[in-house]
Amino acid sequence: MGQEKAEFLKGTLDMLILKIVAAGPIHGYAISHRIQQISRDFFQIPQGSLYPALHRLEERGWLTAEWKDTETGREAKFYKLTRMGRKQLETEVLNWEQLTNAVSLILRTVE
Amino acid sequence: MRRLRRLWQKPLVERQLDSELKFHLEKQIADYVSSGLPPEEARRRASLEFGGVERFKEECREARWEHHLDIIVQDFRFAVRGLAKDRRFAFIAILALALGIGASTAIFSVVYNALFQPFVYKDSAHLVVLRLRDLDQPDYWRGVFTLGEFQEFQKQNQLFDSAVANLQDDMVYAVGDSNMELAGNYVTPGCFEFYGVAPFLGRWLEPADYQPGAAPVFVMRYATWFEKFGADSALLGKPFSLNAVSRTLVGIAAPRFVWGGADLWMPRGPEDPKVIRNERQFWGIVARIKSNVSLQEAGANLTVIAQQLSAIYPNQYPKRFAVEVLPFVYAVVPPRFREALYVFSAAVGLLLLIGCGNVANLLLARAATREREFAVRSALGASRFRLIRQLLAESFALALGGALLGIFFAWAGVKTITAVIPHFTIASETVIEMNGAVLLFALVVGICTVFIFGLVPALQASRCDLNESLRETGKGGGGTGRGGLRNAVIMLEVALSLILLVTAGLFMRSFIALQHVRLGLRTDHVLSARVPLPVERYKSGDQLNSFFRPLLTRLKSIPGVVYVAESSTLPPYGGIRGEVEVSGKSHQEKWYSLLQLCSEDYFSVLRIPLVEGRNFTEDEVNDKRQVVVINQTFQRRYFGKDNPIGQKIQFNGEQHFPQEIKDKWFEVIGIVADARNRGLQEPIDPETWVPYTVTGSAMRGILVRTTNNPATIVKAVAKEIWATDPSVAMAEPYPLDQFLDVFTFAQPRFGLWIVGIFAGIGLALVTIGVYSVIAYSTARRTHEIGLRMALGAAKDDVIKMVLRQGLRFIAAGIATGLAASLGLSRIIAGQIWGVSAYDPLTLAAVVALLTIIGMLACWVPARRATRIDPMTALRYE
Repeated sequence: MGQEKAEFLKGTLDMLILKIVAAGPIHGYAISHRIQQISRDFFQIPQGSLYPALHRLEERGWLTAEWKDTETGREAKFYKLTRMGRKQLETEVLNWEQLTNAVSLILRTVE
Repeated sequence: MRRLRRLWQKPLVERQLDSELKFHLEKQIADYVSSGLPPEEARRRASLEFGGVERFKEECREARWEHHLDIIVQDFRFAVRGLAKDRRFAFIAILALALGIGASTAIFSVVYNALFQPFVYKDSAHLVVLRLRDLDQPDYWRGVFTLGEFQEFQKQNQLFDSAVANLQDDMVYAVGDSNMELAGNYVTPGCFEFYGVAPFLGRWLEPADYQPGAAPVFVMRYATWFEKFGADSALLGKPFSLNAVSRTLVGIAAPRFVWGGADLWMPRGPEDPKVIRNERQFWGIVARIKSNVSLQEAGANLTVIAQQLSAIYPNQYPKRFAVEVLPFVYAVVPPRFREALYVFSAAVGLLLLIGCGNVANLLLARAATREREFAVRSALGASRFRLIRQLLAESFALALGGALLGIFFAWAGVKTITAVIPHFTIASETVIEMNGAVLLFALVVGICTVFIFGLVPALQASRCDLNESLRETGKGGGGTGRGGLRNAVIMLEVALSLILLVTAGLFMRSFIALQHVRLGLRTDHVLSARVPLPVERYKSGDQLNSFFRPLLTRLKSIPGVVYVAESSTLPPYGGIRGEVEVSGKSHQEKWYSLLQLCSEDYFSVLRIPLVEGRNFTEDEVNDKRQVVVINQTFQRRYFGKDNPIGQKIQFNGEQHFPQEIKDKWFEVIGIVADARNRGLQEPIDPETWVPYTVTGSAMRGILVRTTNNPATIVKAVAKEIWATDPSVAMAEPYPLDQFLDVFTFAQPRFGLWIVGIFAGIGLALVTIGVYSVIAYSTARRTHEIGLRMALGAAKDDVIKMVLRQGLRFIAAGIATGLAASLGLSRIIAGQIWGVSAYDPLTLAAVVALLTIIGMLACWVPARRATRIDPMTALRYE
């Protein structure tokens, strides 16, 4: 991932993770996989960013984790959104939408 | 909870982190394999993508809160190691801190308990006592009233919720063939409800106990029951023979109920026919003032009532008077001691300041020597935050050590002071215990000092230019700004310790002056005791003589006894004060004199020399002759140059004679030398002595001069008293010099000790402070000194240079301290006696002492500096 993309990711990673986890309990590998998939390979999240971010979100009480068996029978750490996490996600999404709206307004008008 | 659990499940947390990451890796490999890569290649690629596992494992750990705890523990360990390396610094800093915290907590605890929370009584803040003050004679007042007065006060005033009164009486408890003297208190109804303290055992006195014809009962003091009666609860309900009356013990008072200092409390109220008309029984009054009323208002109100009473009982009142209402605690803590407590508080506050100043200085000096260390660490990439955190940890370690040791000192201090505090200085109800709030305050002050000054190096390191400080080290000069702060702190310390030393010096001079007071009489080898007599049987002078004359003869037969005398008061206090007239002399103002009732050998027992005329004889005493011996002050003041012998003196004072006498004129037969009669510190008053047989009185005492140790004859004296009259017991048998010591020297000695110890500690701390500052600055100037010596400077020059530098701030400190202590002298003046608060000798001695100690503290590091080999110093770096 290029330097610019990494910078861009920094501010939105938490929101993306929360969004993905909001769909249901999911483990770390699957999260990175889903983000990459949905963004059509635009975001490729290095493990070095993903796991500290997950632990940080857990520490803040936005995520909780549980050890469960995967479909292949292996035990993995599944993350789940807490009520506080849901609220946080809502705020971040709202902020994000306001931001993108504002940016696109400017981009359109100044032509 | 889960978060806490993680603390002791660290291995589990680590394992989970591992397996989470491993799962990710394996999943990746599996995905690669399923997309067609050979397993080896898949593993290689996945691992490569995964990158340095350890690095982001650390990042994951950092996201967790317990990580901070780990770092703090690490920092703390590092700090303790650092301090252990600099043991002397750590030891002195912790000790200075602990001394400040400990001493101030101990003293403030005493002040709080003695002055602000001395009682366990209900709503004790509103308890007051009354005093009738003579406006013409500022030193004289009476704090006791007749029951008639008490009832008028109770009835007429609107400002008290309630009031109670107690009448002191000596009780003789007869057990078998010996007597025990107990301090009794007759008390008015309702007094136990008034104080609101439950009895320890049994019951209080009840209204029925006051009814005429009720069975006599009493309540005993806890300490008396414990010490004299072995805490035997079976005594409850048993009859005691007290002053030949059988009284039943109905209750033991609560441990801290000590009203009137009595051993026992007995009912006696207005209903009692023995009491109501007796105008010679004086009761102490304690009242609870209404919460919205000031002491002044209450006093004014009572003064009006007293003015009406003075019309009814003109003899009991001086011409101009006012009733004073004082807080209860004022009645028990002598004013001089109260002020002394405030002086101690101020002194200990100074000590706390010196302690903190010292710690600050040590930390600043240490910071300066570590400038280079911090510069290096900061150059190697330590963030400012990390440096601050580490310094905080160090401060925390110091503060913790200081606080723990300080708490110990405080505890030990409170214990020690409680053990050595003189008698009659604090209320007997008072229990001194360590005060939590005060301890907290001292801890906060001490700890804040450590943290504020401990952080200086961090600020320094982040502010100053790295290259600068790396280059600068060892090149002398340097850090003038901080040097200035250090010098200011040490200057302040010198000033504060000077104040302490001056105070201690004045206390010492005052104490010495007190010990050198010419008493005018000899207290050694004299046994004194009070011999209270049953009033009913010893009313008249003849009746008194029928007891004392045989007793005096019997006492003289005890081996070793030289002289025996009977007297109404014990030296160095003399007699009852009242108005006098001298025949043929007219005067505008009132004339007063002390009057002592005594037997013929009084002057021989106390070795008071006769100056003129003669003393009265045994026959004159037996014959109740109206003769009087006066002291030189009386002669000087009222006779001037005239010869008093053969002249007549009239004693008009109502209080002079406990029992009315018809003819109040007495003939002067002799003059004795002046002896102290108002304590050691007050000037001598005119005093007179007459044969004790001229009037009756229950308040009597004996003085016995022996060639042996007076303490050894106590038993023999008690036996002779018993043999003379088995219903009489003596009270408070003490060697006279011991009595004098308790009442006169104990308190100043206590003050001297306290202030002396503080001054000593202060001086030690300041010495260390001066030393550390000079040692530090010479260490920094090693290079410069080496250069100077290489260029030919003599050792003396170097020493002089260092001394000059030290002398500058010591002199400034001394000047500041002198100015401050001169300003404060008014506060100390009330605590010292016989020496001026501006005493030049004390001031000079203190200045000399501080200068010498200060110079010594400078000289040691200065000398060390000169021992440096110039070559080493120049190469040093």
